[in-house]
Amino acid sequence: MSDIAVSVDHVSKSFRLYHERNQTLKSAIMRGRRSVHEDFWALRDVSFDVPAGSTFGLIGSNGSGKSTLLKCLANIYYPNEGSITHFGKVAAMLEVGSGFHSELSGRENIFLNGSILGMSKKEITRKYDEIVDFSGVEQFIDQPVKNYSSGMYVRLGFAIAINVDPDILVVDEVLAVGDSEFQEKCFQKFKDLKAAGKTVILVSHSMETVKQMCDQAAWLNHGELMIAGDAQATIQAYQDSLGHG
Amino acid sequence: MRYLREVFASRELLGNLVSREVKGKYSRTIFGQLWSLVNPLALMLIYTFVFGLIFRSNPDPGDPSGLNVFALWLLCGLLPWIFFSTVVTVGAGSLVANAGLIQKVYFTRIVLPLSVVGSTAYNWLFEMFVLVVALSIAGAFVLPWIPLLLVVMVLLAVFSAGIALMLAVANVYFRDTQWFLSIGLQIGMYLTPIIYPTSLVEQASKDVGGLAGTSITLIDVYRLNPMDHFVTVFRQVLYDNRWPDPVEMLVCLGWAVGAAVVGVIVFRRNEKNLAEAL
Repeated sequence: MSDIAVSVDHVSKSFRLYHERNQTLKSAIMRGRRSVHEDFWALRDVSFDVPAGSTFGLIGSNGSGKSTLLKCLANIYYPNEGSITHFGKVAAMLEVGSGFHSELSGRENIFLNGSILGMSKKEITRKYDEIVDFSGVEQFIDQPVKNYSSGMYVRLGFAIAINVDPDILVVDEVLAVGDSEFQEKCFQKFKDLKAAGKTVILVSHSMETVKQMCDQAAWLNHGELMIAGDAQATIQAYQDSLGHG
Repeated sequence: MRYLREVFASRELLGNLVSREVKGKYSRTIFGQLWSLVNPLALMLIYTFVFGLIFRSNPDPGDPSGLNVFALWLLCGLLPWIFFSTVVTVGAGSLVANAGLIQKVYFTRIVLPLSVVGSTAYNWLFEMFVLVVALSIAGAFVLPWIPLLLVVMVLLAVFSAGIALMLAVANVYFRDTQWFLSIGLQIGMYLTPIIYPTSLVEQASKDVGGLAGTSITLIDVYRLNPMDHFVTVFRQVLYDNRWPDPVEMLVCLGWAVGAAVVGVIVFRRNEKNLAEAL
């Protein structure tokens, strides 16, 4: 086991901004070429290491490239340049409850969603009780999820994702869900993960959350890495920059 | 090879997605799985009325089975065709339909189109089972041919999967694909010997002779259609109850392997860009 959980090495990611996106035959023929675009660099030459066992926060303003970086970390996007190396199993929680089938019951969805997130049937069966217990929807577990309230839906999705038990957990702004009691439970779960030596990488706009949970942080600004390192110092630098406009 | 292993590792996910489709499809309907039979039966009634009774399309009786029932003869070709066209249509849309999932979770993307093959095959098995029962009641001795039938069904499933993989990727970049597809499949159905026997095409081909002064005849062009070969083999096994023509079998095998290899390669090349392109 190395000391680094994720190594981000000179990662750049660009998107094509289409002025004319020729997705239909008509426009393709009319203009005679496929499309007109320019490259937009969402990430430019970002490098940092995430130490194993840390809780790592990504901060920055809207459009700074946090989510893009997170998707790269979750293997959903692939960087144009540079590489990301994971040391351990990764699970990503970018949205909870994606992949739920509304006609199926909560129970069936646990198995479906668990396997989408990469759990084997045996693992899910073993953790089933824990998942149901954590979600707090045991009373409705055999009802189709379309009858769930949005809170129940999200809680069930979160409970599944957090029980994937990865070495590295990548979390988008999903903590702002559920009532305060559920949030408390989530924080506790993150602490447990940390105690178990797992690495958590999260994006948040709430500096309180980051301060409270993270020991390491990286600050992104317009796709470029400003500072990475100790959480307090990074947050301080970020907040100072906001103060000066 | 490594890719195949990765796909194999996702078999549980594939199984779960298939059962999601199967359970979700006819949930909250009174007739449930029976709905799967309604569409082929309705088509059977229409075509039997129009082509069997009015146009008097008269295929040769099954040899050696001795069957001479237009409706059953029709279904032997129609059920494989419906399977193929459903897999291709739904499979082509499978990536776009699951865009939300692809953009939020990492998993082996290929399971999405493959799960369409699985869930459609489930319905198809049910339909074919009913057909085999009906053929047996009508006097055909189908039972010994069931293992061979399953082999041909697997070949068609592999072929359809390959086509669906290519079209699923094409549809992400070029949404017109699905609309072209529905026209293409309609044309394809009439260019495949489903509601009329191939012998009629042979006859017409002889009357026309070489096309545009060459020695290429109509039937040569006609037989480029892979589904023609599949339907022929299905009829020989199910309706005639005899060993299919080895050449026909090989052609089917060739198409199945070719489509699958190209499909997987195309899919793999584009897999990493899907989340962005959607």
